Amino acid sequence: MSETSKFTEDILAVAKEKAQTIVAEAENETQKALQEAKTRLSREADDVIRNAKAEAEGVKRRHMSEVRHKVKLQEQLEKDRILTDVLQQTKKRIADVASDETRYFPYLASSIANAIRELGFEEVLVHLNAKDLKRIDRTKLEREVGKKLDKRVKVEWSKNPIEALGGAIISNADGKIRIVSTLDQKFEALGSKLLTGAGRTLFGNNA
Amino acid sequence: MSGIETVKIIVEAEKKAAKILNDAQNKAWEIRKRLDSMVETEREGLLRSAKNQASTIVERAESEGKTEAQELEKNSQSAIRQIVTRATAQKGVAVERLVALIMGSEQ
Repeated sequence: MSETSKFTEDILAVAKEKAQTIVAEAENETQKALQEAKTRLSREADDVIRNAKAEAEGVKRRHMSEVRHKVKLQEQLEKDRILTDVLQQTKKRIADVASDETRYFPYLASSIANAIRELGFEEVLVHLNAKDLKRIDRTKLEREVGKKLDKRVKVEWSKNPIEALGGAIISNADGKIRIVSTLDQKFEALGSKLLTGAGRTLFGNNA
Repeated sequence: MSGIETVKIIVEAEKKAAKILNDAQNKAWEIRKRLDSMVETEREGLLRSAKNQASTIVERAESEGKTEAQELEKNSQSAIRQIVTRATAQKGVAVERLVALIMGSEQ
């Protein structure tokens, strides 16, 4: 082989070797970059799945929460309906008791006596409803009140009937200072206590 | 072989070598250029699969959530009915207790 031929072969051999390196480098770089891209994309895909799982949890929670809210509301409505009914029946029952003089008379006497004690006057004006004004023996009632107070108090009975289920309004002589002790007022005043009591009796631990 | 012929042969060899290198550069460029489309293909495949999976997860949760909620509602309705039945049976007792509370408030 001539010197020239050897020289040209060397030139071509070097060029081929360099060419292989260039291509190999490009392939290596590409593989590495592709691998990095796959890792990055895999993380992106994981994020998509993770977000979907969180959304799924949210969807389930929303369904359950809607139902919980709905049944809680329904339970409350049912309880309110029963409580309202019980309060109405109680009012009716109180009216019945007020018609039964044997039970009502001692109550009325105590109610008036307590109010007089609280007012602290020797002379009072007592207002009753029309029914009581008509049927109650006021002399007997005054005597009973006196017994309960253990002292003599001058009771004047107002001729103007009050609008109430029962009970009385007790005031000083000129009517400026008074205590409303009607059954209706007791019902109103004990409102929250009545609701709590009824709730406990009706619903126990579910009140 | 004359000197000129020798130079000609060498120049020719240099040209061939330059072409080989140029071809290699072009091939390398093609390889690098292919990367973008390979990444895009990979991205489309992975994300499409992930999105399908995500969609299935949410749809299943929607269906399971509805079923579980229906079950909860059924059980709760039954519990409410029991509460109402028990409470209705206790109404009379409650009324008498309230009456006693009001009438007893002056004792």
